[in-house]
Amino acid sequence: MTTHAATGDELRTSRLQLRLRNLRSFMGRFLKRRDGVLGLAILVVFTTLAIAPQLFVGPLETAVTASGMRLEPPSAAHILGTDELGRDMLNLTVHGTRTSMAIGLLATAITVVIGAVLGIVSGFIGGATDTVLMRVSDFFLVLPTFVLALILAPVLLDVIGANAELFGMRMTLVVIVIVIGITSWAGTARIIRSQTLSLRERAFVDRARVIGSNGRQVMSRHIMPNVMSLVVANAVLTFAGAVLTETTLSFIGLGDPFQPSWGQILNAAQGAGAPGLGAWWYLAPPAVGIILVVLAFTLLGNALDDVLNPKLRVRQ
Amino acid sequence: MSSRYLARRIFQALITIAFILVLNFFLFRLMPGSPERVLTRNPNISAETKQQLKAKWGLDKPLFPDQFIAYIESTAQGDLGLSFKYRGEPVTEVLGDRIWPTIILFGLGELIAVVVGLGLGAYAGWKRGGSVDYMGNGLSLVLYSTPYFVIGMFLLVIFATALGWFPTNGMLTVGATYDSFWERLQDFGSHLFLPLVTVSIGLIGLYSILMRSSIIETLAEDYVQTARAKGLKDSRVLRDHALPNALLPAVTIVALQLGYVIAGAITAEIVFNWPGLGTLTVDALAARDYPVLQGIFLLLAISVVLANLAADILYGRLDPRVRV
Repeated sequence: MTTHAATGDELRTSRLQLRLRNLRSFMGRFLKRRDGVLGLAILVVFTTLAIAPQLFVGPLETAVTASGMRLEPPSAAHILGTDELGRDMLNLTVHGTRTSMAIGLLATAITVVIGAVLGIVSGFIGGATDTVLMRVSDFFLVLPTFVLALILAPVLLDVIGANAELFGMRMTLVVIVIVIGITSWAGTARIIRSQTLSLRERAFVDRARVIGSNGRQVMSRHIMPNVMSLVVANAVLTFAGAVLTETTLSFIGLGDPFQPSWGQILNAAQGAGAPGLGAWWYLAPPAVGIILVVLAFTLLGNALDDVLNPKLRVRQ
Repeated sequence: MSSRYLARRIFQALITIAFILVLNFFLFRLMPGSPERVLTRNPNISAETKQQLKAKWGLDKPLFPDQFIAYIESTAQGDLGLSFKYRGEPVTEVLGDRIWPTIILFGLGELIAVVVGLGLGAYAGWKRGGSVDYMGNGLSLVLYSTPYFVIGMFLLVIFATALGWFPTNGMLTVGATYDSFWERLQDFGSHLFLPLVTVSIGLIGLYSILMRSSIIETLAEDYVQTARAKGLKDSRVLRDHALPNALLPAVTIVALQLGYVIAGAITAEIVFNWPGLGTLTVDALAARDYPVLQGIFLLLAISVVLANLAADILYGRLDPRVRV
């Protein structure tokens, strides 16, 4: 009995060591990618702003609590100027960070969960399930999220109503999250499926079968951990797309003026005629935010993809 | 190209279009303001009248298959219903008025972007690690991360508002009279310039990234090594061996991306108030003009499917490896 326990402990220690070594080798490879590190640094800054915007700029200014005059250019009092209601642009933009990042995060979570689950199930079970799921994914793969969102979002909004709230998030935003989530999972599902197909044939899956694991156990205990790194790299790239889609949807008028995202601020700027009035300070802050965040996610995602994706990884 | 490959692609495209029609049909029944809801909401209508009205509009028949077939029939005949907003004008006519400005803007923009973007990408990939590659790659990534309408807003602030070189909105000067066709064209051109530059710049980033990676992949192929080993000059290796092979996947991806880019590019119209599908979308969304929205959806969705099909067929025709 004692020998048995000892081997169990040994096994656990060696597994821990293996994990640590894997982590160290991953960090070593990742830190060599300067673009990835730059992306990560930018994201840390914006995430901090998104978590506690009121710490940096106070509560979100409204038409009533606006601190300046209308469309003031940048000055000492308002370093980024004001909008057409006299609200401070720095205040608006920092609060917009929170909305844009939150929508991006939630939409990415939905996309990745649907994509990963359907990808694993489709690849592992195969047969008719696989065929049906892949035909459905074809549909979503071919049709751009934006085009589908164009009719899904207003219909959902009118059915649900824009004024309700869910966990402090206005329904308009919840609808945007749902619409992005359910329309952009197909790419993730495809990638995960192809990885699952190759994992399914590996010896450890057979071994798990032999000791009596059922399909669900094999999928959750053996396949899932092995596609996780791929899921992470994919999620980061999905995030970039989700932020861009949210921006576009808000800009064409599907956003929420009471919880403004960067796209919503640009929509308001367009509505107030800011480009024609030469009010560049109204446009620049949210625009720079969008560009930096999307760029950062793309850089980080590509770096992670190179480091984590077994197909792209160069053998050393 | 084997006819089986062709047949399978066409079949897939038809299935997708069928999905699109089903989605369009059921969403229309789900949303507020659909005839059935309006009919049942009014308390002053007697049961018989309600029944009569239902029979008149065909709502007494089951949703599937009767109503669905009627919907497919009218859609196939080009009847997309009547616009709520534009005084009951048929949707097909509303779309017809707005589609040409978009086709001109997007078509020219796509053309410029393909030529410039593929050229830039090929050069950057060929001189990989050089200064043009370094700058170009960085710039392309930034452009790729920028929504089209943001590019447009800044061009408008700089070149129309501040410098006054170009008009700020519309397709022609409002109320202008022209002495000749030439003058009219000039006015049109000055209105077109900034939106066109916006769409082109937005697309160039994407296309040069695609072409760059394609040429880098091709340069690693054995036949390029062979060409070099034969002692061919660099320019000939590029022109005769690397470029033609690298163009193939790049052009295909350009065709595949068409749907995504047109969806993004129509937002550039909004900034310049260009009277195309983008501005129509915003107006229809604001007025919840569902028949028009559905028309736009159908139009965009089906063109995306057809662009995909064209890309597949093109690829199958050009690349012998796909034919087997």
